[in-house]
Amino acid sequence: MNKSFQRIYFDPYLFFSLFLLSTLGLFFLFSASNSDISLILKQVVYVITGFIIMILVSQPDPDIFRRTSGLFLIFALLLLGITYLFGPEINGAQRWVRLGPFSFQSSELLKLAVPIFLANFLFDKKLPIQRKEIIFSLLIIFCCFFFVFRQPDLGTALIIACSGLFVLFLSGLSWSFIGGSFVLLIISSPFIWNILLQPFQRQRIATFFNPDSDPFGASWNIIQSKVAIGSGGLLGKGYGEGSQTQLNFLPETETDFIFSVIGEEFGFLGVLLLISIYLFILLRCFYLALSARDRFCRLVIGGLSLTFAANLIINLCMVVGLLPVVGMPLPFISKGGSSLLSLFIAFGIIVSMGTHKKFLPQ
Amino acid sequence: MIFEERQIEKNNFSSRAILLFSLIILGLVAVLIQVFSLQISGYSDYQLAALKNKNYTVPVQSLRGEIFDRNGKVLIKNEPTFDLITRPNLILDIDSFLDEIKPVIYLSETETSRYRKLHKEKAFVNKELVLKKDLSDEEIARFNVRSFNFQNAFIAKRFRRISDHPDIFSHVLGYTSRSDDDFNSISEIPRSHWKDAELVYAHGLIKGRTGLEEIYDEQLSGRYGKRVYEMNARGQLVQSLSLTKGEQGSDLYTNLDIDAQKSAAKFLGNRKGAVVAIDLDAGGINVLYSSPAYSINKLSNGMNEDEFQTLIDDPNKPFFNRALQGRYPPASTIKPAIGMYGLSNNIVNWDFEMKDPGFFTLPETGRIFRGWRKGGHGKVNMRKAFLVSSNTYFFSLAYQANITELSNYLSNLGFGQKVCLDCFDEDQAFVPTPEWKYSMMNAGWVKGDTVNLGIGQGYLVATPMQLANYASILATKGQFVEPSLVAAGNQKKSFKTWQDKGFDDSDWSKMHQALLGVIESDFGTARSIRDLKEFQVAGKSGTAELVSLDSKEAYQEVRTSELLRDHSIIIAFGPMPNPRYAVSVVIENGESGGAVAGPVAIEVLKSLINE
Repeated sequence: MNKSFQRIYFDPYLFFSLFLLSTLGLFFLFSASNSDISLILKQVVYVITGFIIMILVSQPDPDIFRRTSGLFLIFALLLLGITYLFGPEINGAQRWVRLGPFSFQSSELLKLAVPIFLANFLFDKKLPIQRKEIIFSLLIIFCCFFFVFRQPDLGTALIIACSGLFVLFLSGLSWSFIGGSFVLLIISSPFIWNILLQPFQRQRIATFFNPDSDPFGASWNIIQSKVAIGSGGLLGKGYGEGSQTQLNFLPETETDFIFSVIGEEFGFLGVLLLISIYLFILLRCFYLALSARDRFCRLVIGGLSLTFAANLIINLCMVVGLLPVVGMPLPFISKGGSSLLSLFIAFGIIVSMGTHKKFLPQ
Repeated sequence: MIFEERQIEKNNFSSRAILLFSLIILGLVAVLIQVFSLQISGYSDYQLAALKNKNYTVPVQSLRGEIFDRNGKVLIKNEPTFDLITRPNLILDIDSFLDEIKPVIYLSETETSRYRKLHKEKAFVNKELVLKKDLSDEEIARFNVRSFNFQNAFIAKRFRRISDHPDIFSHVLGYTSRSDDDFNSISEIPRSHWKDAELVYAHGLIKGRTGLEEIYDEQLSGRYGKRVYEMNARGQLVQSLSLTKGEQGSDLYTNLDIDAQKSAAKFLGNRKGAVVAIDLDAGGINVLYSSPAYSINKLSNGMNEDEFQTLIDDPNKPFFNRALQGRYPPASTIKPAIGMYGLSNNIVNWDFEMKDPGFFTLPETGRIFRGWRKGGHGKVNMRKAFLVSSNTYFFSLAYQANITELSNYLSNLGFGQKVCLDCFDEDQAFVPTPEWKYSMMNAGWVKGDTVNLGIGQGYLVATPMQLANYASILATKGQFVEPSLVAAGNQKKSFKTWQDKGFDDSDWSKMHQALLGVIESDFGTARSIRDLKEFQVAGKSGTAELVSLDSKEAYQEVRTSELLRDHSIIIAFGPMPNPRYAVSVVIENGESGGAVAGPVAIEVLKSLINE
């Protein structure tokens, strides 16, 4: 019998730090939702399910993910198509697909499928990567980005693009190409502004650069978020005592702006603790990536953990006023099953890639 | 893949991964720096912004001080009434609520429709709403029995400003009314919050508008308190966070005397006129009455439009405060002042005698100035001139006067000046000068103008307040106190000494003797009031002509129009020989001074002295 059958693939560092993070998340969410018990219970179910799924996903050999990566991408795109055809429209956007009693945000799967697919496509290519491989990869990335962008869901689309670009970059994209495309991006920015962005997205960016232009309208959210965080001070106002949160001056406290709740009620020290936990998780992923058994695993761990990091940074920068407002939850803390489950799957894959070691032929 | 190539690939990956992770860490650091600048550097600003978001401060009204007379009897008090107040946020179905409450409380159509209109708005923001003001005892009893049915309503005490003598103190006490422009009193409460002020008075934020209520408004109103509510983003009040109590207004102890004011009102009756009485020891104004008057209770507590319009349109002008603003020719009451001027300037002395043929002929033009009695009074000296009120004597005295000096002399006696320290809207009336006449009428001052001044006719006008002040100077032989309504301690008193080197103590006692004779002697013009009292009174009466006429016959014609009849005036002080009170009375169109205004003055003095 093979030894691996007796072994459970498990990374204690990641497991406990994620456990700490999601427990704190439930605790924060309770205050952010004005003590909505039923919401918390639902979230508890998601968290427990998430941990179980993470452990299950950690078990298969990385090769299985590699071999099924194409199918996975097609499945994810199919779900996206179903969403487009049958998904209900909520707040002017089609993002959800119903699977029996559950609804699921189909774009979440692409966050996983795109980096794994590209890692599989690129891991055995010779360095430096050839032009046609780059073009193929960019095409995949752009298509997935575009489908999600049209839902419209700019935040997730950006994250999906990031996830693919990270893998492309890590697999050895030449610097001259990177430089070239950067120049191209700047040149085409007026086109992006005028054609691709929806009016409300344009307005968000405009108010970001001039927040006093409309304090009760478009910039209300960001002003109130800054007031919430700023008034927290060093130690915060105390759990459940944040006036900005509890009196509803702060918008979207359960989702995008939950970090402001933490800032208001727990102050700078609370923020420091939270960011330390995130940093620890990222450093652990970094270590796993460097010590992974092969190029494919390295690329997948790198791609997924950097995607997670990008998700985190965009949310944080948005709520503290360093970036325009884009819909982006705070990972492991914000309300919502889809993003939470896809995060747990991602970390399950990271653990699988990071803990399976190649056995030398005996 | 050969080993070397794998190593190159791995190094390549590591360096790129390090680069990306460094960027990520950089991003986190940027976030931390931003959070630091918000929470630590910008803390006080953002804390203030958060408080400004949630704290909703409203003013809390304080009770006004009450007003008392000189014996400690209350003139204006705060009388509790009861209002039915609801909590609209607890009333889910307004129709069934109104149906339930109607048998308990009488509601008019306007009250219900007003309530319906405001209900939704107040319910949303969790604010209270008054359903019915000034409940009757029955309504209170009915509600209290059923109060368990009405968790969403309660009875609250609200005060009203009430006087037990609303019609006789109208002008001097004044009234209060709702004020919407009191925002500056607490600058930290924004204007828009004042509509939610916590009220103590049924009529809202009230402010003194006239009389003592206005003059001493600041002292009476005390200071507003503050209540801070927690408000959420939708503008709903969540809870009360703190209450800073205001300061109740201080009570006002006045020099007014209820009984004396009552007798002034009673004896003036429904005639138009004014009475002012002054306490000579302290300069306290004991009586300040103007007739006709109006009810301050009604005016302070919501008078309806019609009633108000009727008062405004009344030809007798009840709002006009005759005691402080009525301008009357002082007529013969000015004679003591003219006499004093003549004595101190050595134009005449007490022994100087002249013949009074009943008229005075102006040498320059031959114009004739008539006395009040045909044939005159025979030989008159100063004393007799006062007693019989000889016009000829004073015409001839005034003829020798220097008009500028005489004007100054009258001003020093308080004419043409504000004389009361704390009266509302006092008029300073008028003492004429040649400069005035030239600039107003484009005509030069002529001797005839001065002659007319000698008997208090012509351009000279005075208020009853000034006449009372003048009487108090005469009574105290110049050692008078400036009149004031509020007792010493509330207001700095100023003891004034009237001085005239040419007028000494013996002049003063002769003057008192003469003025005593006006009432007490057998020849005095006001002897008709001699027997109305037990004590002795000095004074001088006057009859102010509104139309200048040459003969009695012509006056009989004028009499037929009441509004052209003479004003009746008297100044008096007593009890002699050590007077304690001075009084002035003016009765419009009352005719003969001594006989008409005299009895009113005597009754007021009686009620002051016999206390």
